[in-house]
Amino acid sequence: MAYAVLTESLTRRYGSRRGIEDVNLAVSEGSLHGFLGPNGAGKTTTIRCLLGFLRATTGNARIFGLDCWRDSRTIKAEIGSIPGDLRLYPWLTGHSALKLFGRIRRRDIQAKGKLLADEFELDLGVKVRQMSRGMRQKLGLILALAPEPRLIMLDEPSSGLDPLMQDRFRQMLKRMAARGQTVFFSSHTLNEVEALCERVAIVRSGRIVADATLDDLRRQAKHEFEIVWADAAGERTPPPPFATLTARSAARWVGSVEDGSLRPMLDFLAGKPVSDVRLARPDLETLFRRYYESDDEPGTAGPSRPGSANAASTDAGLNGSVGTPATAAFPAGRASEVRS
Amino acid sequence: MRLINFGLLLRAWRETLGATLVFTMIIGSFGGLLSYALPRVQERFMSRGFIPPGLVQLRNTMMGVDSNASGVAEIAYTLAWSHPVIVALLFAHAIIVTTRVPSGEIQSGTLDVLLGLPISRWELFISETLAWLVTAALVVGSMFAGSYIGSFWVKPENQPNWSLMGIVLANLALVYVLIGVCGLLASVFSDRRGRAVLFVMIFAAASVLLNYLELLWEPAKRISFLSVLHYYRPALILREAAWQGKDMAFLGGASAALWIVAGVKLARRDLATT
Repeated sequence: MAYAVLTESLTRRYGSRRGIEDVNLAVSEGSLHGFLGPNGAGKTTTIRCLLGFLRATTGNARIFGLDCWRDSRTIKAEIGSIPGDLRLYPWLTGHSALKLFGRIRRRDIQAKGKLLADEFELDLGVKVRQMSRGMRQKLGLILALAPEPRLIMLDEPSSGLDPLMQDRFRQMLKRMAARGQTVFFSSHTLNEVEALCERVAIVRSGRIVADATLDDLRRQAKHEFEIVWADAAGERTPPPPFATLTARSAARWVGSVEDGSLRPMLDFLAGKPVSDVRLARPDLETLFRRYYESDDEPGTAGPSRPGSANAASTDAGLNGSVGTPATAAFPAGRASEVRS
Repeated sequence: MRLINFGLLLRAWRETLGATLVFTMIIGSFGGLLSYALPRVQERFMSRGFIPPGLVQLRNTMMGVDSNASGVAEIAYTLAWSHPVIVALLFAHAIIVTTRVPSGEIQSGTLDVLLGLPISRWELFISETLAWLVTAALVVGSMFAGSYIGSFWVKPENQPNWSLMGIVLANLALVYVLIGVCGLLASVFSDRRGRAVLFVMIFAAASVLLNYLELLWEPAKRISFLSVLHYYRPALILREAAWQGKDMAFLGGASAALWIVAGVKLARRDLATT
């Protein structure tokens, strides 16, 4: 498989301060790859290493097979990027920006830039110093996308865009990926990643704690259960060995079951005085929150050992029969942002 | 390997043109005024046959040589071309322009966008230097132009030899370039433009101070070689009608060496807004 981005044990330290540690990323060409993590997790540092702004302390990073530090200039001819905290020269207008950036890139990007401006509904005649944050973000995106780069690398690209523009922007990215362009973008917005990505890498405390497709991430999470007993005062058999209880009272058990133990759990419950049972995998948001919030060492944290996130689920066969009806059983809300 | 990027040149000129035009006008006007007025003042002093010793001392200090044996044009034009206001304005322009990249860009946050474009660090550095040198030619040249125009109203016998003034211009330009290269160097070592500006200003101010102290205070003579103005010799050029080759070679050599150090540092350092 051809990779647009490939890092091996990429580590970047700022003196004694942590940057990123042992980051292994593989972004396939033509894919939409999300890079998710809370603020300060290391997303921007990783992107800066990839763009050749920062030199790796150890490890290496390659884009289209070229070294990100040594061949930075060659690589960036194939990249359209936008930084997380976008600042443009205040004296530029949209038109002059397209002209200037085209000159620096040594190619004409004005025609494509005007098309994108129409799509983003941006007036290119306004000076940057008079633009709102959203307008500046649109101009930044236009400047990144207009050269039609092979790799689009965006650091929290939709911040400042209204929901309508966010949708339009996502459609745009999907079209570009369908044409074979690779999209790698960081975000701390879950629904953005969910709406766009085929695959997501999650970074926490400078380390990648998961790198998998969304379906795999869902499958890897343990099923969680909540059992409400009909006879609160009745005798209980001990819980089966494949189930771990996290809360237990006379009337209610809450816990999780090992992978592949869904059917045995249902068998265990058969014939028992159960008044209500909820059994499902956590939804994506709950899952991400756990990756974000776990105090454990990365690699062992989160649901079902995120370090091994590429492994296929062992009880995928039960997913449809039991998981689907119960999916809504662990409501966590569909907040638009997941923050640590 | 492409080393000059026309887009980067345009960007740099767009950012520095306003300041450069202002400095050009001020330096040209002030230089012209000095070149018009100082020969007259000097001639009047000489016709009286007596100049207060304090004034002679001040004149010697400003010229960096014993001025008693010099003629009107030599004294007047040396004083005009080493006037503290002219020197301060030239230094200020050099510092303002050369500290923009990278420290100014880091501070303003625009560096991330700039470095996201397909340019090498050397391409950025060389283009920036070239753009600066073009503005430098305007600013330093304005002193020559102003001086030349100002001298239209000066008696022919009190006018300088303009070929020799060309050498003085080259000497002044080299001093300006060395200060500018110090600005580049400070800028690549710093993430804060204010810090880079402060560093070069201290160096420039110390240079000016040391240059004056040299003639007034014996111990300062021993370290006067540290002053960039120690290598600026308008009086000697006009008096001896010759290039001050050693001094100018030192200025050129030091500038080239420091410029290479700055370029290598820029190419190797981590660059990102904070």
